[in-house]
Amino acid sequence: MTRMHIRMKTKLHKTGKAKFIYAIIVCTLIAVSLFYACRDRKALITQYSSIDRPAKVQPNYAGSVIPPNIAPLNFVIQQEGTGYFVRIYSEKGNPIEIFSRKPAILIPKHPWHELLDLNRGRQLNLDVYVEFAAGASSSKGENIRWSRFQTLTAQIAPEDIDTFLVYRKIRPGHGTWRDMGIYQRNLSSFSESVILDNGYFKHGCVNCHAFCRNSAEKMLLGIRSAVYGSSALLLEGDKVQKIGTKFGYTSWHPSGRVAAFSVNKVRQLFHSAASEVRDVMDFDSLMSYYLVDSKTVKTSPNLAKKDRLETYPTWSADGRYLYFCSAPVTWSDKTVVPESYDQIKYDLVRVSYDLDRDQWGQMESVLSAEDTGLSILLPRISPDGRWLLFSMCDYGCFPVYRQSSDLYMIDLEAAKKTGDFAYERLDINSSESESWHSFSSNSRWIVFSSKRGSGVFTRTYIAYVDKNGKVHKPIRLPQKDPAYYDSCLYTYSVPELITGPVRATKEQLGRVVRSSENISVKMPITMATPKPGQPPEYQQPWQTERE
Amino acid sequence: MSNSLPKSSGRMSVSQSRSQDIIKQHSSRHLGRLLQSFLFFILFYLYLWLYVDLRLMYHGAGIITNFPVFYKGWTFFLPFLSYPGGPLEYLSAFLSQLFYYSWAGAIVVTVQAWLLSVCIDYLLKAANLLRIRWICFILPFLLLVLYTRYTYYFATTMALLIALIITCLYIKMTLSRTTTLSCLSTFLSLSVILYYLAGGAFLLFAVVCAIYELIFRFRWKTSLFYLLSAAAIPYVVGLLIFRISIIDAFCNSLPFSWKILYYEVRKRQVTFVYLLYVLLPLTLFVFGLLQILWKRLHFVKGRTKKKHRKKLSNLLLKIFSRYRHSPKLKWTVESLLLLAIAGSAVFYSRDENLRTRFKVDYYSYHKMWPELLTSAQHNAEDPFIAHAVNRALYHVGRLGYNMFSWPQHPDYLFLSDNKYKWTYWQIFDVFLDIGVINIAENALAECLEGIGDRPMVLQRLALINMVKGSLGTAKIYLGVLSKTLFHAEWAKHYLELLQTDPGLSTDKYIQHLRSLYLDKDCLTHTLLMEKTLLELLERNSQNRMAFEYLMARYMLNKHLGKFVQNLERLHDFDYRELPTHYEEAALIYVYGTRKPFNLSGYPPSPQKRQQIEDFSRLLSSYGRNKQAASKELSKKFRNTYFYYYKFASIGSNK
Repeated sequence: MTRMHIRMKTKLHKTGKAKFIYAIIVCTLIAVSLFYACRDRKALITQYSSIDRPAKVQPNYAGSVIPPNIAPLNFVIQQEGTGYFVRIYSEKGNPIEIFSRKPAILIPKHPWHELLDLNRGRQLNLDVYVEFAAGASSSKGENIRWSRFQTLTAQIAPEDIDTFLVYRKIRPGHGTWRDMGIYQRNLSSFSESVILDNGYFKHGCVNCHAFCRNSAEKMLLGIRSAVYGSSALLLEGDKVQKIGTKFGYTSWHPSGRVAAFSVNKVRQLFHSAASEVRDVMDFDSLMSYYLVDSKTVKTSPNLAKKDRLETYPTWSADGRYLYFCSAPVTWSDKTVVPESYDQIKYDLVRVSYDLDRDQWGQMESVLSAEDTGLSILLPRISPDGRWLLFSMCDYGCFPVYRQSSDLYMIDLEAAKKTGDFAYERLDINSSESESWHSFSSNSRWIVFSSKRGSGVFTRTYIAYVDKNGKVHKPIRLPQKDPAYYDSCLYTYSVPELITGPVRATKEQLGRVVRSSENISVKMPITMATPKPGQPPEYQQPWQTERE
Repeated sequence: MSNSLPKSSGRMSVSQSRSQDIIKQHSSRHLGRLLQSFLFFILFYLYLWLYVDLRLMYHGAGIITNFPVFYKGWTFFLPFLSYPGGPLEYLSAFLSQLFYYSWAGAIVVTVQAWLLSVCIDYLLKAANLLRIRWICFILPFLLLVLYTRYTYYFATTMALLIALIITCLYIKMTLSRTTTLSCLSTFLSLSVILYYLAGGAFLLFAVVCAIYELIFRFRWKTSLFYLLSAAAIPYVVGLLIFRISIIDAFCNSLPFSWKILYYEVRKRQVTFVYLLYVLLPLTLFVFGLLQILWKRLHFVKGRTKKKHRKKLSNLLLKIFSRYRHSPKLKWTVESLLLLAIAGSAVFYSRDENLRTRFKVDYYSYHKMWPELLTSAQHNAEDPFIAHAVNRALYHVGRLGYNMFSWPQHPDYLFLSDNKYKWTYWQIFDVFLDIGVINIAENALAECLEGIGDRPMVLQRLALINMVKGSLGTAKIYLGVLSKTLFHAEWAKHYLELLQTDPGLSTDKYIQHLRSLYLDKDCLTHTLLMEKTLLELLERNSQNRMAFEYLMARYMLNKHLGKFVQNLERLHDFDYRELPTHYEEAALIYVYGTRKPFNLSGYPPSPQKRQQIEDFSRLLSSYGRNKQAASKELSKKFRNTYFYYYKFASIGSNK
């Protein structure tokens, strides 16, 4: 090959390369110009007509109290228009202005957090403008295309909410399941990650997650699997162990040394003609507890009475009492649905406990179903020990399936003084079921499941509890896509707030579930008919699965 | 010099013409092969479209539980990018939706089968295994078997296809690259891409490449490296980067994934999928080794063989030689052989009963009653088919006339026996039609979980919630449906209707279902059907289906006292004549109890009276020996209630 040839080739090569670079530059320029041409232009709206009502937005956060560290509360403006402009502002900081051709308003994350952080305890305002194709005419005869609706306002709470929320996502089935998992959601953003899903252990069941003092450092997680058996995962920091028995509803003692749990013989049933098809009955149940240091499971006569059904344990903030629900067994054959199933109502009771001596006191009644006329379920005590939040429904043990289930609260401090556990129905209840509630670590926030808006699909709501115990209008757990819930087939249940994320990876947890190593424990008794030394009978998934 | 020129030019022209002949021969052989493939795949396509009817697989019949769902939009798409094998799952989910139209689904599967055979052909050619190129048709044969058996492995076979395409790409890219390093880099980059696209199917790629490098390129170190990569890449990419479980990191998209093997219904015919996967590596390994051995033996014994061959001149060899030298004959024989094998594969793998199950279920869901009754004749004894037949007979107004022309058992009406307790798919429609909406809803909710959010399930759930007035829930199901490819219009229609007419007063079907809806609640785990049917009639005495099913239930259980008591209800409906089986049952009751004959005002038919007397006479002629009389009675009275009443055992299935 001659030198000339080589030079020519190099030249050609260079020309080719140059062409390629030019092509890239041109394409980039075109792409950038297109992007600029197509993007939503910001407009200064000087002229508009005022509409004497607030805009219809979904979700509607007006009147709510919102956490200062919550993810942007995106929403959809449900007004027909050709353009939308939103101005979000408060007393301090720069307002956020969003212009959009679409009714979905996506709020930028950083300015949102900045605005909320600067204005803790203040009011957040939201001006909504909608552009109509054929606008009204002004006094000067100009065509006004924009309309401004009344300002929507919400209150920014002074206190943060715990950054992470843990919940279970499952379809609204009754007996079978395919995909389910326990997820953690960073409330400051939209980031959601799997703690453990049943894909890690051949589509078994994962449920009943319980944290000690809102901390991910100590956690229990219930597992049921036809392949790997039933167990409870105990997470202590980075360490994960498998306890060789299934824990039902679980509550950690504030010391983290004891976990009380229920053992339930659940039967799933259905209504032939009610609005909610599904129902659940405990044919038998008792209360038990796990001692972390000695790795033993124990119970006490007051926790496991033969003639009563015990469930839903929760510890008082000082750890001196275990509160739980208890109903009398009024029928003899524990294998059939009793005729008077709708008369089964649970009382709220408590038993004192001495941690150092591992001794239980006598059972005391806190609130009786006879007095309330309703079944008292799911007691939860705020970490500051002031509030006892619980739900009540017409009958039974499973409020999420009862449309009548509402949230109530008792001021324990007042009760201590007066000796009267006076309760109050919360204003935040809807006509649908409210249940699965829990407190934040600072006792200022509650999260709960509600079926409002659909009747079948539970969603998570967040509400602010002020110092006087007033619970303010809740907000639904925000999603990046504000229309997300319109086509979401999952139910969100058992929301629990935690201060930091669960650090153990899903693979780590999955490996522990699959492994044969476990802490072998002997059940002191099984169900209300005692059979010492035997684990609870294996329950078919359809008997135990619940939302 | 002058002589040499023409000589050499003569030599050149001879060699030129010879090479032209070879090219001609080659191109005609190539054309022949193309034609052969074309014919084969045309027949393949027609078979899938017209016989297998892929829309039945889309429907699933409650048997296919892993048929994927697909929604429009980024929200559905993005999660598929978050794990290895996700992109392939997304593509498979999209392509599977085309099964909705049988012709379109058949195109997808045929193209897939064709590409599989092209890849195998290419790889065999690359390995110089030209004599066994017919193997490329084995993959389509296996696919035929899988589809004939109505098993859904589309995603798994797509993973195989992508792995093979990438393998071809590797071979093509490394043909000109001689250095090991360039081969390794090509392999690694392709591996990562393939692993991300198709998950565990990457293992096949790695194994095939390793075999290829070892046997055909004699590079054992490279081969070993590839095998080690097969273990390392899923671990690094799957487990450490994408953080999926170790089992999924290695098995996702493969036929031995727990997602297939854990479920009985999903692993039907999985052996054929294993064969699909092992065919290529096994072929390359075995025939590659044989090739090496053959070359060595041929080199040593070349002469002796030739001599030996010369001695062999018999008729068989002549025929063989003629066959070898006649391309047309060869083409014809090969084509016939190909079709014969394909035909045999289909013939021996077909399962008419299963096909009937799929067809009947499809017709039942789409309320295609005449088609259902025609198809059901192939497998009428199947409880699920019998159940669908009863529903079809009711809808065509023939339940009281023809139900005993079909196999019957008391369980068939509602599939009520304990053994059907996990049967949800087959029962939701009968409960919806009759008015026990909650049971239908419960069954559908179970299907939603067990089978996935298939449009058929969502459609029914939306409808039920609209009937119940749970509009919030209905809107959620409609919202999901509006993102599907083929049911969006239906959903949008109802979403708009809910805006303009929230009471849905203009929708006749919903109003009709509301008029039947059971309103008496009870908490139970097993519905008492008789009680429920009576409650339905109490709620709406015009609920014709509840009435006919109640009467059918009494007849099937031989509760004729209750049957006769309820004949009065006939006046609530517009029966012009008394249904044949009702008259037969009433006659048995009258003859049995010697009570006065009362057909609730309907005139008795003299023929029926004659028929029961003939039946009784014939039975008496055998000394009332049921067993002895059964053959003759069956001939004459097989389709009557008389025969059922006398011979049906209601304890177990007939």
